[in-house]
Amino acid sequence: MASPVRPSRNRTTAPRATPLKLARFWLICLFFLAWAIMIGCRLFWLQVVRHKEYVERAQKQQQRTFEVAPRRGVLYDRNLRELAMTVQVDSIFAVPSEIDDKQAAARALAPIVHTDPEDTQTTAEQIASRLDAGHSFAWVARRVNPETAGKVKELIASGVLKGIYFQKEFQRFYPDNEIAAQVLGYVGLDDAGLGGLELKFEPQLHGVSGRMFTAMDARRHVLGSSEREPAPGQNLVLTIDENMQFLAERALDHAMDQTHADNGTVVVQDVHTGQILALAIRPTFNPNLFRRTTPALLRNHAVSDVYEPGSVFKLVTYSAALDQHAAMPDDPIDCQGGKITLAGRVIHDNQGEHYGVIPIHQALEVSSDVAAVKLALKIGPDRFYQYIRDFGFGARTGAEMPGETRGLLRPVNRWGSSSIGSIAIGQEVGVTPIQLVTMVSTIANGGVYLPPHVLMPGQTDGSGKTPATAQPFKIGGDLPNPLPPGAHRVLSTLTAAEMRKMMEGVVLFGTGKGAQLNGYSSGGKTGTAQKVDPATHLYSKTMHIASFAGIAPVNNPVIAVAVVIDNPRGGSYYGAAVSAPVFAEVAQQVLEYLAVPHDIDLRPARPSTKQGNPVVEDASEHTGDIDALYAAVNDLPADDPLRAPPSQSAPAAQPAASPSQASTKPANTAAEAKTDATQTSAATTVTIADGKTLRVPSLIGLPVRKVIEQTAAAGLEVQITGSGTVREQAPAAGAMVAPGTKIVVRCGR
Amino acid sequence: MAACATTYLEAGRSLNTRIDERNAELMALQAQRRRGVRTPEFAFPKHFDNSRLVKAPDPVRARQIRQFSVAVTILFSLTMLYGLQHFSAIERGYRIESEKQIREQLREENRQLRLSEAQLTQPARIDKMAREMGFAEPQPGQMVQPNSGSDAGVPVMAQATPPTAVRNSY
Repeated sequence: MASPVRPSRNRTTAPRATPLKLARFWLICLFFLAWAIMIGCRLFWLQVVRHKEYVERAQKQQQRTFEVAPRRGVLYDRNLRELAMTVQVDSIFAVPSEIDDKQAAARALAPIVHTDPEDTQTTAEQIASRLDAGHSFAWVARRVNPETAGKVKELIASGVLKGIYFQKEFQRFYPDNEIAAQVLGYVGLDDAGLGGLELKFEPQLHGVSGRMFTAMDARRHVLGSSEREPAPGQNLVLTIDENMQFLAERALDHAMDQTHADNGTVVVQDVHTGQILALAIRPTFNPNLFRRTTPALLRNHAVSDVYEPGSVFKLVTYSAALDQHAAMPDDPIDCQGGKITLAGRVIHDNQGEHYGVIPIHQALEVSSDVAAVKLALKIGPDRFYQYIRDFGFGARTGAEMPGETRGLLRPVNRWGSSSIGSIAIGQEVGVTPIQLVTMVSTIANGGVYLPPHVLMPGQTDGSGKTPATAQPFKIGGDLPNPLPPGAHRVLSTLTAAEMRKMMEGVVLFGTGKGAQLNGYSSGGKTGTAQKVDPATHLYSKTMHIASFAGIAPVNNPVIAVAVVIDNPRGGSYYGAAVSAPVFAEVAQQVLEYLAVPHDIDLRPARPSTKQGNPVVEDASEHTGDIDALYAAVNDLPADDPLRAPPSQSAPAAQPAASPSQASTKPANTAAEAKTDATQTSAATTVTIADGKTLRVPSLIGLPVRKVIEQTAAAGLEVQITGSGTVREQAPAAGAMVAPGTKIVVRCGR
Repeated sequence: MAACATTYLEAGRSLNTRIDERNAELMALQAQRRRGVRTPEFAFPKHFDNSRLVKAPDPVRARQIRQFSVAVTILFSLTMLYGLQHFSAIERGYRIESEKQIREQLREENRQLRLSEAQLTQPARIDKMAREMGFAEPQPGQMVQPNSGSDAGVPVMAQATPPTAVRNSY
């Protein structure tokens, strides 16, 4: 009975149970599916959408990047002798957390590492303060010498010191110390070039930094690393010859000892290539100890300073006249008794010289101003100006040295009525020593202007793969064929030959007797120019620049030498007496060093010009328009070094400054201009800080109180001498000067 | 077993002879053990001839085995070669790193020596030392460089040299 019932009940319950279980099953599946989809979406969001962000965060947490400094390139002279090179030295650092008694450690280290009294970073107090300030790292002393490192290592080995370690760092060495210091420049603590070629070719010399990528765990432990090797800097070969550089610097040292000049410059150039063989500047500095130098010492006077060349510039005038067939060497010229009037301005020859009609070559030998003025007038201002430009004046030469000025040369349309006469005798024009020596080389090599260089060609083409090769100087070379970029013919070969003979006459019979050599013929021209007084901005009666530019041997010139002595004191200040002997010493020794065959008979001993031939003086009284020079300064481009105070162009007091800080920048304050004016040479004294100029008011007849009020209102400074009312003032009323310029007034009753 | 081995190895007698002898020995032994009651026992030799059972040649299987053996051998060799190369590479890597470090040390030492040489041969130092030793600068013309050209300022005695071409014709 029960059995028929059960099936009916089973039939009624079984169809209900099965869908319920399936529903539960599908519900659970749906739940897990939704859960999986959510996880998938989240993973997609994290792994795909925000992949980059999390990778970067992970790298920041897990990786550290260390920069590996590259080795700086070597600077070689032309014979591949190292002038600047980088080697590894030890630097000492500490892990302060490992040091128990930091004060005791500092006291133990300081006597060893504090080798330089002027180094304030290695005193016991400084070391102790750094140890106290840091937890995991503190420098003790950087770039110590091997002896110091050895002493510290002994202390560590003996167990006295703990937590002191060594790190290798690069250090720049200049093995020749002061040789060519202004040319080479120097580098700061961060291995960045801060002057000279080190600054100019910083990208090439510095190289490319390497990188080390290190994976680290949560406790900052290194798990592994990969690295990119640093690319070392490019080696550069200079045209400088170390031995010639030494000879030039030694001769300049002798001259500086005798004359006590403010500074001196000697440039030796290969006349056939334009390459600078030596560039000596005094006073100088030791780039190994750059922290001890001053901004004034860093200045490269050969390219950054200009001066009025005086009679040396007559070579340009005579060359132009001969090349234009306005005169021949033997043609007579009337020197008019040593006096000529030009546009109401009287130009005199040297005192005591009253020449009449003399040959052109003799006029150059005696440095007649009148003859030079007449020749310039004969060829006219336009052609004369073109010759000046062709000789390279008024433009940067392109020598690979930073801070080069183009010099001061106004275009013809801004010349005054008497400017042609002034420029003919080397006034109202500012030149650099390197422009001067290039001009003489142009005459020496047959009339072709070759741009000067201090870097061997083909090294900065960007490849950096050219191996450094020695290129010793070869005598008897010809002009390069084809001519290098920038080269051009200025004079005909005949004119150049005639000029060389006339320059030889200057040395044999004229003002340049002090430049005579023994066994070699030589030619050149002396020059003496008055400097501009920094205080008055007027030509000084006591400060001069003595110069000489010459070549040797005359018939087949090998070298050209320019000597500029700034403000010689304690004796003669003429180029004939001061600079010509320096030329003789340099040229004689360089030619002997180069084994140039003698072209004249040797003398047993060289006669002294002081005792034998009296030195003919060649100074011209300055009658040029000084305001024209001021105006020419204002025409210079903004990056010209003459427009910036020299103290700002060379940050010696800030060795760690970046190269950008080392570049020139315009002066801002009158105080800076005043400070610089008292420190620098004549060329810098004509610097006008910026484009703004003020007209000097007339102070004549005013009482002191009024003078102070008026100058203060005008933005000028005043220096008063005497008492009463103003009798004289300098600069004169109406002159355009820079704001803050000091006006000197002399008072009387 | 030793006896069997000896029997088996006895030479010169046939198999039936040896079986008979063996049966006789066993009968005698049984009689002794049963104390005189002799129960005849017979041994019926049964010969199994398996000489017709030969393994059929299976060239496919043999080839497979050979191929497998060769493959395993090659794989083993490659594995060993890989291991050898791997560990050799690691070892050589260490050696290369070591050599690199030595090379860098030597280069750095070379640079240090070059620096020392440059410092020691600087003209100013040599000039100073020479002066301290009493040397003086050579006078003009005193220094003669054999490789340089003839000195234009020095008279040269005229010499007649026969042309090279004429000399060669002799």
